[in-house]
Amino acid sequence: MNDERLAHTFVELADTLVDEFDLVEFLHILVDRCVELLDVSAAGLMLADSHGRLQVMASSTESIRLLELFQLQNDDGPCLDCYRTGKPVAHPDLTHAHDRWRQFAPAATRAGFRTVHALPMRLRAHIIGAFNLFHTNPHQLDRSVTQIGQAMADIATIGLIQERSLRHHETLVDQLQTALNSRILVEQAKGVLAERRDINPNQAFTLLRDYARNHHHRLTELAAAVVDGSTTATELLSTTTPPPPE
Amino acid sequence: MTKASRIDRIWGAITARADALGVPVSLGVLCETAADRLPITGVAVAIRGGFVGSELICVTDPLSRRLEELQLTIGEGPTLEVLAGSGAILVEDLDAPDYQTRWPLFAPQALDTGGRAVHVLPLRIGAIRGGALALYTDRPARLPGEILAEAWVFSELALELLFDEQAGIGAQHGSRPSYWRFETPAEVHQATGMISVQLGISVGDAFTRLRARAFADDRLLSELATDVVARRIRFDHEDTG
Repeated sequence: MNDERLAHTFVELADTLVDEFDLVEFLHILVDRCVELLDVSAAGLMLADSHGRLQVMASSTESIRLLELFQLQNDDGPCLDCYRTGKPVAHPDLTHAHDRWRQFAPAATRAGFRTVHALPMRLRAHIIGAFNLFHTNPHQLDRSVTQIGQAMADIATIGLIQERSLRHHETLVDQLQTALNSRILVEQAKGVLAERRDINPNQAFTLLRDYARNHHHRLTELAAAVVDGSTTATELLSTTTPPPPE
Repeated sequence: MTKASRIDRIWGAITARADALGVPVSLGVLCETAADRLPITGVAVAIRGGFVGSELICVTDPLSRRLEELQLTIGEGPTLEVLAGSGAILVEDLDAPDYQTRWPLFAPQALDTGGRAVHVLPLRIGAIRGGALALYTDRPARLPGEILAEAWVFSELALELLFDEQAGIGAQHGSRPSYWRFETPAEVHQATGMISVQLGISVGDAFTRLRARAFADDRLLSELATDVVARRIRFDHEDTG
């Protein structure tokens, strides 16, 4: 663990939490930094909707296989266990977890993952979601590593409540619904961009995100512009911008 | 009671009411159930359309009707703002100075009409703005989190019944609507975006086409969407979908 890198990441995340920050983008930065800092293979963040169903909010790669692995956990899996108990859940070797998670463990193994950790996102008495870390090798994460992971989960929670709590009288349930709807908007924009540029949704996401960063747009606003075909997105939708690598 | 069963409880209450009345499940039955279960006076559902951007399609009581019609008449108010793209608007007391300033025409007249609290939730899927669910109360009211969570569930069910009607899919009596947002994988939303480009239509219309086709072909929405994303299926103009 590189302390300087860690400090840099926390400063970066704190800097992002200023006025008008974009929650979807913030949570994506967070999962990306987790992968780098904690040396895991993939990370994802799930939030509970008003039904108590877990929904993917951010993922370190947007591959359908990984997204499915998160979604599958509404039936069984470490995120569901973590969300229900409010406690961290870990398994050092998923090939020996088929009895515990009948659907999740074989699917995760097929996707190439061996180790899983789930850390709770907690706001006072409420568990609002879970943070999921995957590794391709069977190993137990160090205690120091899971502590940083938990700190990242806590920062994600702060970001979530910070975004809107000062406006109006919105409650946590409204904030979660709004956050989840932003994520759906990004998926629709990925579809529009994929079709217009003849690329896959994963590449479309990279394109969307890079463009938002380079042009200082908020990710969800750019996604809305892509779906509406408004002028902000004209250049992005035209085929002259080079597509990202596969 | 667990959170996961909230939707089952609410759907159970809606179908029980429809059964008792001997009618199919509809948006009207949903609104009446919501008005009954939640600590409010009445419920209205409005969709985008018409001259001022709102069309009232369902209302349970005279107070809610007056407050909706007031907004239509003066062109100002929380339902119109939600229909125009705002997030949820939760007003505990219209008599508060903030709201009198925010809606100088609507707020005082709403008070005269007998309205005090209003909670409006968007019926929305990503960029698709389906409408608004408005909950009206004749006294100041702050809805606690658990009640708001129920209201959100009602809003999602209302959206699904709306979409079913638009896609020409009758809600099957006693069974859940055919689409559940919270069980929907990312591909459904990606496919919706792709189809909107293929057909040159809005994402809302694209979503309706996707669902109608899944229904017509007797396929799961997620399976059909996966085929669209993998480019095994294209929607084209000849396709009556």
